[in-house]
Amino acid sequence: MRRSLSVLFRKEVADHLHSWRFNILIALIALTTLASLYTAAQTIRSVVPQADQPLGDIGLFLKLFTTTDGKLPSFVAFVGFLAPLLGLGMAFDAISSERNKGTLVRLLSQPIYRDDVILAKWFAALAVVGVFFLALGFIVMGLGLFVFGIPPTAEEVLRIVFFLLVTAVYVAVWQSLAILFSIRFRQAATSVLAGLSVWLFFSLFYPMIVNLIAPITGRGTVDDVLREIGRHQFLSRLSPVTLYEEATTILLSPDVRALGPFTLEQAIGAIPTPLPFDQSLLLIWPQIAGLVAMSVVLFGLSFVLFMRQDIRGR
Amino acid sequence: MPMPRFRPVKAVQAGPAMTAALTALLWTLFEVFSGPAFAAPAGVTFFTPYTDVAVTPGETITYSIEIKNATGEIRRMKLAAQAPSGWETNLTAGGYKIQEIAVRPNDSETVTFTVDVPLKIDKGTYRVALLADGAPVLPLFVNVTEQGTYQAELSTDQPNMEGTNKSTFNYELKLKNRTPDAQTFALRADAEAGWNVQFTVEGNDVTSVSVDPGGQKTIRVSINPPSRIEAGTYKIPVRAETKNLSAETTLEVVIRGTYGLKLTTPDEVLSTSITAGGERRVKLRVENTGSAPLAKIQLSADTPVGWDVKFDPETIDTLAPNETKDVTATIRADKKAIAGDYVVTMNARTPEAEDSAAFRVTVKTSLLWGVVAVLIIGGVLAGLYALIQRYGRR
Repeated sequence: MRRSLSVLFRKEVADHLHSWRFNILIALIALTTLASLYTAAQTIRSVVPQADQPLGDIGLFLKLFTTTDGKLPSFVAFVGFLAPLLGLGMAFDAISSERNKGTLVRLLSQPIYRDDVILAKWFAALAVVGVFFLALGFIVMGLGLFVFGIPPTAEEVLRIVFFLLVTAVYVAVWQSLAILFSIRFRQAATSVLAGLSVWLFFSLFYPMIVNLIAPITGRGTVDDVLREIGRHQFLSRLSPVTLYEEATTILLSPDVRALGPFTLEQAIGAIPTPLPFDQSLLLIWPQIAGLVAMSVVLFGLSFVLFMRQDIRGR
Repeated sequence: MPMPRFRPVKAVQAGPAMTAALTALLWTLFEVFSGPAFAAPAGVTFFTPYTDVAVTPGETITYSIEIKNATGEIRRMKLAAQAPSGWETNLTAGGYKIQEIAVRPNDSETVTFTVDVPLKIDKGTYRVALLADGAPVLPLFVNVTEQGTYQAELSTDQPNMEGTNKSTFNYELKLKNRTPDAQTFALRADAEAGWNVQFTVEGNDVTSVSVDPGGQKTIRVSINPPSRIEAGTYKIPVRAETKNLSAETTLEVVIRGTYGLKLTTPDEVLSTSITAGGERRVKLRVENTGSAPLAKIQLSADTPVGWDVKFDPETIDTLAPNETKDVTATIRADKKAIAGDYVVTMNARTPEAEDSAAFRVTVKTSLLWGVVAVLIIGGVLAGLYALIQRYGRR
């Protein structure tokens, strides 16, 4: 890493950690998720009523993330809901605030490259989010150890770590989007509104629109229904929200063997056993690739936009 | 044959002729020192009604002998028995064993004379006599009607039994001791290795048994054949032996053929993995666990829909008992199979027996799309790098 980039990177990380906004956001997420975890730990006993099933088989630690007592959403649901907010909140004014305060011109008058500035912003946001989610995940595992008194299996740890990494990538998608908006829109308010509307669009309206365009009627032959479902799935998967949901479902529920519909023919002779981790990962590899690609492409766009932008003092 | 044998002596006392006297003396001496030297007491008669009896070896004859004294004085005489060697005789009267008896004048006494006929004796007529004062006074005939033995007998009413290799065969043997002595017999069965033969007498497992003279014992024999044995008839000689006696009989065990088939793999592992749409070869082992040969063993598989299992060979023509044969099964998974475990059941069937083995087949999705996804990510990152190179350094 170039020296200027590393200096800028460290400054950005420090900025995030010292900012009220970031601290409020992570406090919000940490509190809500820990609350849901606590209720999950309270109700976890009802999840394991089958005495004939060995504990290791059902992934008790994974249940900690997905169990809900009905009043409070599960850990996964909270993270899925709040992670975009975190991404947007951290980066919606990444460039525009510097520009508005006039610090961007001053920064660029230093002997540093322009791409270092935007790279440092992106990497710093990624690093902070990654560290935060990994820390949160390990707190959860520690709590699980405390509650159950049994250690998680290596596979469970792998699954949880991958879940946290996927969450970090998901946040990165929204961060990249927010950086793009912060470059495009000079006003921070416009940027945040644009980001929020995209978030609302994908989490609330997009599923409705997909249902409207490609409804699953369940009528016709099996092939017709399969085609309908295929179209529906394809459209849904254009949304990062869907990709993230599918990835977390597969990662945290090893007994889910397929994402799409599967016919009775495929189910005959199948035994309800949990999938090994590598198979689960292979199943959602396209989703992960999609999320990574999305965030990289969005950042690439903002990079091009930033490099081409005319930067002047006020 | 009571005869007045002393008359010549009286003649000596009566006659003056010296030569006649000498002759008579010599005659007397001759009479004394040869033949039945002591004549039966005069005036005493011996009587028993049955003088010629027919018996079997080992039997005891009891004679009741009446001794009558017709003289006017008390007569005492020595009594003894004469019998072929090996025969046992006894004289009893009044509850005692006696050697001598005295009879009052004009009175009679009864003596019981018992004769034990030995077991080991030839068929024929034998002479027994009662001796009074050394002279045979009552010759008796004993007719032994059978050839006598000195031996043991081992026999069974039902020497043949049929069952499977899992059955227990229970025989009942009779061991007779035809000797005058109590005998302890060692029991032995000459079975081949793998057979288990157990002797039981009166509920106890034994290896030897003692039998009273002339008596018999019932011996139960339970035989367990080896579990892996071919159908057929097997002879098991069973012996009862003492130092100088031996009795033998042969038991016959007929093993009926059983049918058994086992399907497994050479390493007993019943799981494998397969890529969706891919093939996997599995080696199966077919074993004939029965005792009869099996013919035309058909191999088949119950598979999930769209799967296919091919066997090489598809049928096994013959399989001898305890023989194994390896078969290669090629499993082909459906292209649309989802990741995770499926059950594929392999069957081996004949009309007589069948077995199946359930395989747990773990389906793995093809790595192709994973690789494609990695390539896409790599491409996107490469694009980003190109962008930085292109627009950077400003």
